[in-house]
Amino acid sequence: MKQPAHDSADHELISGALNGSLSAWELLVRRYEGRVYNFSLRLTGNADDAMDLMQEVFLGVYRNLERFRGESLFSTWLFRIAHNKAVDMARRRGVGPPTEPVTEAQQDQSQGDEQFHPEHELQQRQLNDQIKRLLAQLPADQRMTVELKFYQELTFEQIADIEDISANTAKTRFYSAIRKLKELLETTS
Amino acid sequence: MSCEHTPEILADHFDTRLAGGRRLEVQQHLAACTDCAAELAALDPVRTVLGNWREQGVPQWQPVAGAGLVRPSVSERFRRRRGVDWLRWTPLAASLVLTVAVVMQLRVEVSDGGWLVSFGADTVTDIATTAAVVNLANIEQYLQAFSEQQRSETQQLMETALAQFGETSADSLYQIVSFFEEQRQLDMRRMEAGFQHMLDRDYQTVNSVQQLATYVQYQGELLQ
Repeated sequence: MKQPAHDSADHELISGALNGSLSAWELLVRRYEGRVYNFSLRLTGNADDAMDLMQEVFLGVYRNLERFRGESLFSTWLFRIAHNKAVDMARRRGVGPPTEPVTEAQQDQSQGDEQFHPEHELQQRQLNDQIKRLLAQLPADQRMTVELKFYQELTFEQIADIEDISANTAKTRFYSAIRKLKELLETTS
Repeated sequence: MSCEHTPEILADHFDTRLAGGRRLEVQQHLAACTDCAAELAALDPVRTVLGNWREQGVPQWQPVAGAGLVRPSVSERFRRRRGVDWLRWTPLAASLVLTVAVVMQLRVEVSDGGWLVSFGADTVTDIATTAAVVNLANIEQYLQAFSEQQRSETQQLMETALAQFGETSADSLYQIVSFFEEQRQLDMRRMEAGFQHMLDRDYQTVNSVQQLATYVQYQGELLQ
C-alpha cells in the first residue's frame, strides 16, 4: 500500500504510451493493476465486478491519458478516475456490494503461488472476506473515503478534491466510517 | 465524546502522510485529552482489522492498446468456472434449441432404425445421411399443383355445363348456378382437409419438440 516512488518512470511510460508504444502502455497498466484490482475488490466485494471495474478504470485512463498534465501524481489522477468509475458502477448496480465466498478460480490461483500454505491461505482469505463484509455495510461515500485514505493513503486534501467536498468533511466522513466499523466489529464478534 | 476536536484528531491520527508539525500537534492533543485518547483506544482495533487485508493477485488478463484490456478468453473463463456456472446456461440453451426447432418445424421420430429428424416438410431423412431438409420448394410445388388442378376442373366444369345446358333457356341458368355452388363447396372441403393436414403435422412437430425439451431437462437434472 505504499505510494509508488517512481513517478518519473510513470511519466516516461505515459509519454511512451501517448506516442503509440504498446509495451509502455502495458507496463503502465501492469504497474498499477494490483492496486486497482484490490481497490475494486474491496469496493465491489466480488471478483467479477472487480474485474469489470478495473477494466473500466484502465479504459478511462487510456482514453484520458493525453489530458494528464503531471500536476499531481499519476496514482492520484488514476484513483480519481477509479473513484468516478466506482461511483458510476455503484449507481448502476445499487449501493451495497454483495460479498462472495472464495471461488474455485481464486483457490486455483492461490494454489499456483510459491510456498502455498493452505491453513495460512485460508486464514488470509477469511480476513479479506471479513473486511469486504464490513466495508459492504458502510454507506458508499464512507466506504470510498476509507478506501482512499486507509488503503490508497491519499491525503484528506486529495480525497476532498476527488470527492468534491471539503477536507474537514472528508475527515468527519472518515471518522464516522471508523466508528461505524467499530460498531459492526462489536456486533459480529 | 465530549471533545469537539475528536473527529479531526482521530482522522489525522490515522493519516500516515500527515506532516510532521501537525503530527506533533495531534500527539500532544491525545496526550492531554482523555476523551480523544479513550476514543482512539476504542477505535484502534478497526485499524488493525483493516490492516489485515492481504493483497490479492489479479486474475489473468491481457492489456492491449485501444480498448485498454482484454479479459481472459471465454473458453478460459469457462474452464476456470469448471462445471459450476455452465448449468446456469442450460435453460437458455434449451430455450434456444426449442426456438430454433419451432421455427424450423423440427420433427423427430423414433423408429426401429433409430432417430429420424426432418425439418419443414413431410420428408423424413436419416440424420446420419442428411443433416436437415428445409423443403420450401415442396410447398410451392403443392400450391402450383393445387392451382393447376383448380383451373383444369373449372374448365371441365364449364365444358360439361355448356354440353348439358348449351341450348338452354333462362330456366337452365338456375341449374348452372347450382352446379357452380356444389363445386365451390367441394373446394371448401378440400381446403379444410388441407389445412387440417397442416395443423396435424405442426401439432406432431410441437409434440416432438416437447419430448426433446423434457429429455434435455431430465439430462440437466441428472447432471445436477
